[in-house]
Amino acid sequence: MTKVTIIGPCLVLEILRAMFPHKPTSLIVAALCFCIVFTSSGPVTLAQKKTAPAEATPPPVREQFKFGEVDLEVLEQADLLDTRFERDGLVLVDESANAFLRRVGQSLVPRDLELEKVSWKFRALRDPQPNAFALPNGSIYVTTGLLTLIDNESQLAAIIAHELTHVMRRHTYVYNRSNRKKFLSMNVMAAIGAFAPGGVVGAVITIVTTVAPFIMMATIYGYSRDLEREADLKGIDMMISAEYAPEEMVNVMKLLDKDLEGENIRLFYNDHPSLDERIKYLSGYLGARADRVTHQMELNRERAAYFRTMESVMRHDLQLAIKAGRARSAVYLAQRLVEFHDDSENLFWLAESYRTLGPRTPQLTEKQLTNSAMKDAAKKSVKRTVEEEERELLATPAGKENWERHQQLAEQFYRRALNAENPAPVAHRGLGMLYEKLERGTDAVAEYEKYLELSPSAIDRVRIQRRIEALKEKLK
Amino acid sequence: MSVRSIVLVVLLTVCGSHQVQAQFLHPKIKANETTIRRVVVLPAKVNVVRDSMKGPEGMAAESDELSLRVEKMVAEVLSKKKNVATLPAAAPSAEGDAEQKYNVADFQTKFDELLPKIMKKRSDVKKGRFSMGDEVLNLNLEKGADAVVFIRGEGKKLTSGKTAFRLLVGGVPAYLRLQIGIVDARNGEVLLYTDPIFTGDPTTAVDRLRKALEKSFKKLPEVKGQ
Repeated sequence: MTKVTIIGPCLVLEILRAMFPHKPTSLIVAALCFCIVFTSSGPVTLAQKKTAPAEATPPPVREQFKFGEVDLEVLEQADLLDTRFERDGLVLVDESANAFLRRVGQSLVPRDLELEKVSWKFRALRDPQPNAFALPNGSIYVTTGLLTLIDNESQLAAIIAHELTHVMRRHTYVYNRSNRKKFLSMNVMAAIGAFAPGGVVGAVITIVTTVAPFIMMATIYGYSRDLEREADLKGIDMMISAEYAPEEMVNVMKLLDKDLEGENIRLFYNDHPSLDERIKYLSGYLGARADRVTHQMELNRERAAYFRTMESVMRHDLQLAIKAGRARSAVYLAQRLVEFHDDSENLFWLAESYRTLGPRTPQLTEKQLTNSAMKDAAKKSVKRTVEEEERELLATPAGKENWERHQQLAEQFYRRALNAENPAPVAHRGLGMLYEKLERGTDAVAEYEKYLELSPSAIDRVRIQRRIEALKEKLK
Repeated sequence: MSVRSIVLVVLLTVCGSHQVQAQFLHPKIKANETTIRRVVVLPAKVNVVRDSMKGPEGMAAESDELSLRVEKMVAEVLSKKKNVATLPAAAPSAEGDAEQKYNVADFQTKFDELLPKIMKKRSDVKKGRFSMGDEVLNLNLEKGADAVVFIRGEGKKLTSGKTAFRLLVGGVPAYLRLQIGIVDARNGEVLLYTDPIFTGDPTTAVDRLRKALEKSFKKLPEVKGQ
């Protein structure tokens, strides 16, 4: 009876609509909801086990792990995932960023450790949603969204240490074996199908879901609470061994708690123990174990070094966030970047973020962050296109006021970008787009032409030329 | 038998015995204001899973093979039945390899982002409501390209155990569902959307796939004198 949950409610509904064009949809929806609720409720409750005490952490490696046929299949899928991520343009090609990740990762792996069928790889994934995950073959991925959100190397070490534990302790295999017995996958997969976001944010999820459904559940949606707790605590031990500030594990949890976009289904660290709970047990564990608290000055130095190394990744992530319509995150992250280094390119990204923010509020209100409001917003976002959403907001006085303010800020930052040392030509393109929206055709054409003059081989040259032609036609 | 069992069996029996094709054309196509003569087919993303008694299992290699087959077959059907030529996608230049790769990847995901909105009200394609914007020009396609074809798909293959179980208890059969969007290469407007579905093993049912595709492009006007 659980099969319908795999196929996904949308598909069944589409088929039904085609089969019964004159039947009331609500009846069909109700029937489907009924089925899904009934088929999902049982096994999920099985997964909510009591958590283990925080005191002792297990040895780093799961000794005497014997690979079975099922485990080898999972391993093969993990290797295929690596290939797909690369082929589909999801792995960030930034040698310095990947080298940095490698250095931090390797410093955490215990020396002389050799694990069967594990080859360590540390890579940045082009995804604006903050997340990190490990594949059982030793590939550790940290998204650009998370790399941009964190403050320093110790926080990155905290994330990688957590993921390393999942690999060393063979959590994926353990979880897979357990789930195959429980049939839990069917229900979890149905939930993923129903709530996975689209676009850039959903790309990784889509690939993992289809290539390796079990890996999907374990690596991205979280293992059982016990395994997550083990990874957190073991991660702290590894940080201390590698001389990273262990308290930064707690600070990472706090950063992950930010909900800038009001996403009611926060996909990644969501199914781990609750963040509050994690902060609590990590602080407790740290209090008992830590023999040092890193001096704030040391952390500040680390922050500056981290921002310098990751600046290009952060810019890339801003671009992704803007493309994915995560304008609030983009403004927040661009402000951090400009505070660190207000060069022309960073100012340009802040301007772009404000231009994209348009009529939206820069921050969500308490009311908008309630669960029901977030659910409503998620439903609406499927019904409306981005342009329709903007039009609706612009029809309200508050939306209009936001739009005017953000366009002004955008113009101000574009100007600052152009007045800075080594001005980025793209700021002219940004101004052109801004003026086009403000119906200042002549100014827009001038800015576009300036952009093309300064960047004759720009990848969007054809697009801008077309815009110039259209504007000139309109101005005649 | 519980109520949910009855509901499911009825639903799945109905689903299993029919093929469904729906197609929606932009008013410009209907009014012959825009003609699709040459298209660029972007790499298809079709994924199939094997449904076993112990849950779904990934079929990455088979999915890649099927994606390629669907992509080729779409081009073939468009060419043979509608006289629409397929142009090769622009190869990334040596210096801008990564940037071009990101560009295509991001545009593919932009379609994924729009897809749920289209599916929510497919008939609005007929009103010209959906567009991917002029960013499509950043793909730097060949000059003569009129449109870009996006192909998505999902399917399920049953193991023998699961097939036997289905015969006894009922359930969703093996199937393949495609979602195909044709987007104007100049302004990003969605010119056609179609989503053929057929039952049968998606990895082997080649003829069914061809028939489903032929049906799904039925309304697209044929190009005269290419």
